[in-house]
Amino acid sequence: MECAEARLRLDAYLDGELAGDDRAALREHLATCPDCAPELAALEGLRDSIRRSAPAYRAPPALRAQIRAGLRRERTANAAGGLSASAWVAYAASLLLAVAVGSGGTYLVLGERQQDTLAEEVIDSHLRSLLADHLTDVASSDKHTVKPWFAGKTDLSPPGVDLAAQGFPLVGGRLDLIAGRPVPALVYRAGKHVINVFVLPKARGDEPETVTRRGYSLRHWVSGDLGYWAVSDAAADEFDKFEHAFRAAVGG
Amino acid sequence: MSWIAERRQRSRFEAVVLPHLDSAYSLARWLTRNEADAADVVQEACLRAFRYFDSYREGDAKSWLLRIVRRTSYTWLERNRPAELVALDAADEADGAAAVDRMPGAAEGEALLMNRSDLRRLDRLIEALPMPLREAIVLRELHELGYREIAEITGVPIGTVMSRLHRARSLLRRNWDGKDG
Repeated sequence: MECAEARLRLDAYLDGELAGDDRAALREHLATCPDCAPELAALEGLRDSIRRSAPAYRAPPALRAQIRAGLRRERTANAAGGLSASAWVAYAASLLLAVAVGSGGTYLVLGERQQDTLAEEVIDSHLRSLLADHLTDVASSDKHTVKPWFAGKTDLSPPGVDLAAQGFPLVGGRLDLIAGRPVPALVYRAGKHVINVFVLPKARGDEPETVTRRGYSLRHWVSGDLGYWAVSDAAADEFDKFEHAFRAAVGG
Repeated sequence: MSWIAERRQRSRFEAVVLPHLDSAYSLARWLTRNEADAADVVQEACLRAFRYFDSYREGDAKSWLLRIVRRTSYTWLERNRPAELVALDAADEADGAAAVDRMPGAAEGEALLMNRSDLRRLDRLIEALPMPLREAIVLRELHELGYREIAEITGVPIGTVMSRLHRARSLLRRNWDGKDG
């Protein structure tokens, strides 16, 4: 394991949330790396200090009594044998909101800030796919297997593109949640690196961009009705080649 | 509904929820940064929880209650200190960008060794964190919850919890290192 990968996993390791293989690989790295071991020690020091210093506040005794008294004055909504009218209205409203979000309402106007948030979410999803050992839901290098797998799981139909000939074999597909809706992710390999391509609906105000965050580069472009977000830690020229090959294959 | 049934419902609620009152208060106290406000928020959250007690399914009462306390804290701040909430959002964005600088090779090294007054300072640094980062670190370190529970309570994906914790820690360390400068 290299330092860059180790650093990404330190927090999860500290929190006891790193899966078995990853944990073993990280331990091995920590045992020998003069840079990463002190970094972990610093994180542990911070955690211990927080737990020692920051008070876990306790509720004042009077509060318990106040709450009991408040409850006695309160009539439960189900007292009448079901949800009250106002509870139903609130419930219906929450469903409507979910539908609006789920059907892409959030994409109608995509300001700079939303695009920024999307970029963060995309990188988070990429990280999650690597850390939680959940790279693919459907593992196949056959585009005729991967593409149909998404049918019925999301209303977005990703292009089936294998780029093995160009050096980027298709590994499979995965369904991820971005901005509260299920979106397809196509997974490719570039040598040892993984490239995740997320497919979202094109949005108004959707600007192509290339950014680097947390050591990952992110490419965004629009083609037809779809917006593509590719994330990887592959080298820039490799990533250029991939983007070029992918766009050529899709015809955008 | 008869008063007997009501009373039964109430005692069931009290048995499920009140054991987690300290946790609830602690979260509200960290989010509102004020004792009296935290008490108000918890009282309101408990009434809300009671009204929607039907939506509670046997399981993790603590997470269920903390989710309601968190939401109530946000509404309470929106209503009473909206400026603070907006400022905190902006701070989150700005610090977020600046905090993502712990790259390989930039190891800062030694653990934080602190005396008592230092520890009080650390408290204040936590209080100064933007809300999303503060709630993540408080739920993780002080409530000792796992990523999945934190994700449920704060309503974001696990990956976001992970990156918020990372950013919170980076900020705490950076601000700590800058204490003399």
